Amino acid sequence: MTGVHRRVAITGLGLVTPLGNDAATTWNALLAGRSGIGEISIFDASGFPAHIAAEVKGFNPHLAIDDRKLLKFTNRSHAFALAAAEEAMRDAGIWPARGSETRWGCVVGSSMMGMEFAELGEVHRHCGPDGEFHVERLLTDRITADPMVFCRIQPCTGLALLLRRFGIRGYANSVHTACASGGQAVGSGMKLIRRGTADWVLAGGFDSMITPIGLAGFCLLGALSLDNETPERASRPFDATRNGFVLGEGAGFLVLEEWEAARRRGARIYAELAGEGNSLSSYRITDSHPSGDGPIQAMHQALANAGAPLDAVDYINAHGTSTPMNDRSECTAIRAIFGPQACKIAVSSTKSLMGHLIAAAGAVEAAICALAIRHGILPINANLREPDPECDLDFVLGGPRVMRTGVALSNSFGFGGSNSCLTFRNPEEAPG
Amino acid sequence: MMPTEISKDEIMAVYPKVAQTMADALGCDVEQVVLNVPLIEGLDAESIDFLDIIFRLERAFKVKIPRGKIVEDARGDLPEAEFERKGYVTEVGLQRLREHLSEVPADRFRSPMKVADIPRLFTPETFCKVVVRALRAVQAETAGVLGSGDAREAKADG
Repeated sequence: MTGVHRRVAITGLGLVTPLGNDAATTWNALLAGRSGIGEISIFDASGFPAHIAAEVKGFNPHLAIDDRKLLKFTNRSHAFALAAAEEAMRDAGIWPARGSETRWGCVVGSSMMGMEFAELGEVHRHCGPDGEFHVERLLTDRITADPMVFCRIQPCTGLALLLRRFGIRGYANSVHTACASGGQAVGSGMKLIRRGTADWVLAGGFDSMITPIGLAGFCLLGALSLDNETPERASRPFDATRNGFVLGEGAGFLVLEEWEAARRRGARIYAELAGEGNSLSSYRITDSHPSGDGPIQAMHQALANAGAPLDAVDYINAHGTSTPMNDRSECTAIRAIFGPQACKIAVSSTKSLMGHLIAAAGAVEAAICALAIRHGILPINANLREPDPECDLDFVLGGPRVMRTGVALSNSFGFGGSNSCLTFRNPEEAPG
Repeated sequence: MMPTEISKDEIMAVYPKVAQTMADALGCDVEQVVLNVPLIEGLDAESIDFLDIIFRLERAFKVKIPRGKIVEDARGDLPEAEFERKGYVTEVGLQRLREHLSEVPADRFRSPMKVADIPRLFTPETFCKVVVRALRAVQAETAGVLGSGDAREAKADG
C-alpha cells in the first residue's frame, strides 16, 4: 500500500456546538448568523469578570447516546464527543465491522482539562488548616474514592470511550496541543490513511472548559472578552474594537476515508482532505509572534502538502479568536504568504458566532470548511463593524457568501505555540 | 454472636435498592437485575464495575465494604495457601466457595477454577448478602455488641 499516493475523502460529519446539537442545525445557525453566546448557565458565574460563554444547549446525553453503561465514564465533553462521533459515523454510512475494525483508526484533540471543579474541591477539603494532606480521609471520601471519578479524569478517557463505542481496533492517538488539537487530530488522521496504516479514521476534537477553573484561568490570562452586557457582540474577530475571545464548548468529528474505497462504495464526499501543515512557534507560551512566524510555516506546509498553488485558495476559515494579538498576527501571516493576492481570498472566523471551542475548535472548523465546499456557501465573520487597518482582508460580512470554493484552508493555533493548518479541496477538482 | 445464616426475608429487604444500584452501575434496566443472574455472563459486568458496585452500595446503604470482602469471607479461617495454588482455587477452597455462595447453583463451581474467575459466580443475591452482613455489622456496633474497627469506621462514614 505504501508508495502509492493514497488520497483522503471526508465522508461523514458530526457536530455538537453552541449553535446546535448536530451538523445541520449548526450549519443553518451559521448561515442565519445566529449567535450561540449568552450568560453562563452551567454554574453561577456572576462573580467572574467574564460571565458569558457559548454553551451547548439542551443536550441530553441519554438521548444522544444509546449506551448507558458508557455514560457513567463520561464527563461533559466526552458526551459531546460520543454524540458528534456517532452522527459522523451515521452520516458516512460506514462502521467498523468484523474484518474491517483493525483498518479503522481514531485520532482526537482532547479537552485541555480533565479534572472538574467539584473533584478538586473535594481534594482541597482534605488539606487541613495546617496544610497537611489527609490521605486516609481522601481515600474514603464520597467523591474522591469513587472509582468512576478516576476513570473520568484521565486525559485518554474520551479516546478510550470512542474506541469502545465504535469497536475501532486499528490505531489511536490523542492530541494535546490546546487550541491546535482538533486541527492536528484531523491532519494526523489524514496521514494515517495516506501512509496505509488505516483505511478509515474517525478524527475530531472535544472540549468543555466552561467550568469555574477553566473560566478563572482564562480570566486571569486576560484572554476573554468582558463584554458581558452584549454577549452576541462580544466575539468580533478582526474588528478594531475586539477585546478577547469567548469561551465555547462542544465537539466535532469527521469520518476520513481512503479516496478510492469511498468512490467504490458510492459514498458522498464532502471534500478531499488534501493537506496539512504543522509548525511550532517556539516563541512565548501564550503570545503569538507579531510577524506571523509559526502560522506562516503551517500554512505554507499545508499548501505544499496538498500540491495547491497560492492562487487556488478561495476561502480561509481563520483561527480568528477575537483577541487583539491573534487576529493581527494571523492577518500578517496571511498577507506574508499570499501577498497582493491575499485580498482575493474570502476569510471568516466562525468563532464570531460560536465562540472558541478550544481543543474542539480545529475539528469543528474543519467540518465547517467541508460544508462550505459542499454547499458552495461561506459562513460570515459576524460582528465586524469597525475595520482594523492591520486586519485588511476580504472578510465575509453582512451575510453568507454564495461562492464555489475550490480550495479552503482552516487555521488553528494553540497555547504553547503549536500551529495547525488544514487544506480542503472541492471533490470536483480532486485529480483522478 | 450474630447468626451466619441469611434469611430470604433479609435478602428481599435489601434487594430492591441493590437492584437499582446495580442497574445504575451496569447501565441496564432494573428488571434485568434478577436475583440469580450471573453478573458477568448475564449483565456484561467488567472488573471496574465490581469496584463501582461496591462503592455505590456503600453509599446507598451507608455501610463499609472492604474490597475483596466476598472471597475473604468465603475463605474464612482457611489459610490463603490452602485456598488457592498457582492461581487456581483448591478443592477445599472450592468447597468453601460453594458454602459461602450458597445462592449459586452447584454446577457452576467447576474444577479447576481460576481465582480470577471467581467473580463469574457472583449474582445480585451475592451482593445482597454482602449488604446484609455489612448492615448487621453496623447494627451490632450501634448496639454495642461488637466494637470492631470496621464497624466503627462504617458508622463514622455514614
